[in-house]
Amino acid sequence: MTTPTLAASVWQIVRKDWTVEARSREIAYTTLFFAVSCLLVFAFAIVREGKAPEGAGEGILWATLTFAGTLALGRTFERERQAETLRALLLAPVPRAAVYLGKLVGIVSLLLTVELILAPLVSLLFAAPLLSRPIWLLAILLTGTLGFAAVGTLFAAMLVRARSRDVLLPVLLYPVVVPVLIAGVRGTSALTDPEFDAAIARFWLALLLAFDAVFLTLALWTFELVMAE
Amino acid sequence: MSIVRMLLISALLAAPAAIAAAQQPTQQDEFVPISELPPTEQLPAAPLLVGAYVFVLVALFLYVVSIARRVGAVRQEVDRLEGELKARSRS
Amino acid sequence: MPKWFTPAALVCGAMFAVSPLIIANAPYESTMGLVQKVFYYHMPSAWMFLLGALVCGFASARYLATRNDRQDRTALAAAELTVLFGLLTLVTGPLWARRAWGTWWVWDPRVTSSLVGWLIACAYLILRKYGGPGSERLAAAVAIFGMANVPFIYISVNYWRTIHPATSVVPTLPVSMGAPLWFCVMTFLLLFIVLMTMRVRLEESKSRLDALHLALDE
Repeated sequence: MTTPTLAASVWQIVRKDWTVEARSREIAYTTLFFAVSCLLVFAFAIVREGKAPEGAGEGILWATLTFAGTLALGRTFERERQAETLRALLLAPVPRAAVYLGKLVGIVSLLLTVELILAPLVSLLFAAPLLSRPIWLLAILLTGTLGFAAVGTLFAAMLVRARSRDVLLPVLLYPVVVPVLIAGVRGTSALTDPEFDAAIARFWLALLLAFDAVFLTLALWTFELVMAE
Repeated sequence: MSIVRMLLISALLAAPAAIAAAQQPTQQDEFVPISELPPTEQLPAAPLLVGAYVFVLVALFLYVVSIARRVGAVRQEVDRLEGELKARSRS
Repeated sequence: MPKWFTPAALVCGAMFAVSPLIIANAPYESTMGLVQKVFYYHMPSAWMFLLGALVCGFASARYLATRNDRQDRTALAAAELTVLFGLLTLVTGPLWARRAWGTWWVWDPRVTSSLVGWLIACAYLILRKYGGPGSERLAAAVAIFGMANVPFIYISVNYWRTIHPATSVVPTLPVSMGAPLWFCVMTFLLLFIVLMTMRVRLEESKSRLDALHLALDE
């Protein structure tokens, strides 16, 4: 029997995760509601005299995504840990990279779903015109989520058997994804500017793409080395 | 040998220097006002300067002490375990 | 300990003892006055902070590639020194800034990048301490990611506040200040080497201790 191709293996893993998730929808719903409760916390922290400060919307969106994304990462791998399926996946005759990529696609799809609901909500609650340029917004959300998830999936996978893994994931992840956060917020902010300057948006998008390329490659290389038992 | 002795030597060497550093700056305090900041904003520089140097030296000293302590603890454990191992191989 | 260690440590101690005198006699910098002299400890600390980060990154990469424990010990020691010198930099900086710029902290590119880099180093140490067995490899990955991130952090923070980056606030140095500065840099560099040696030795002793524990358990 020949080893399946990378793409086929990735698709198998993604399909497995989607099937499991579709049955209970546990991670999707809980992540979404956590994000909404984050919005609530921000509302009471930031809103003054019934109005949100100018430009707060994009910051709140990305901060909430960071927190919700961290939880989603932890929960996805917790599920694997409890079922001991990660080990099984690594022992399977499947290219190592496929395990990483499969998990990555799963997380990105989950987070994008949450974002598609969250962005309009933030726009509404905090009077931020986030949806004024939807294609641009989608591009920034996609590249930003990819960058966040590229690093997050690697760290979460490696923390599966570590102690204190719930708190260690954000401690390790947040400083490393600072550029994504900055580019995401400033990029989204550029979209809400009444005098929209496409060059600025392009700059942040380019930075995100570069980050994604570099860290995806780095993560693939490191995943091979670290998971080799 | 060693770490403790080194620490004592460094401390002895550093002490007069710290005293010198504390004394010298005050003599030059009257000079050159800082033209950019308004007079109300000006803080005396000497406490900040001395504070910075003292912080650096104290932090470095504490780090060396921490290493020395850990080395001592590990060495004690190693000696103890080696003794046990020897005793066990004899019996 | 290697033969050169004790003389090196003593020379280092002596250099530190002498440095305040050399600094006190350095020429006055007219725009910032007395407080500018913090610079002679601040800048070498910053350079050792960067050196530690580089050593940690490279040792981590080699550890992941070769699984050589010695590289791992070097990486851990270097990370500790990165946190130490980073702390010195981040404390002496604001003490200088309060006097020179009127404020304790600014979110300018260099300062912010240093803070983020320092936090990555702290995260490395927290992981090594509390992550349990097997965290060496994850930590190595974190170190490599941290190093790869440096250009991204710098660029993003640079353009973060405005699309037009601010010029550096640190003025250029006249040549007469070069000598005291290089003396301090040499002092700190020697200290870095001495501390690295001590710290790596400590890790080696710990490995021997672990081996003894295992031998006794058999």
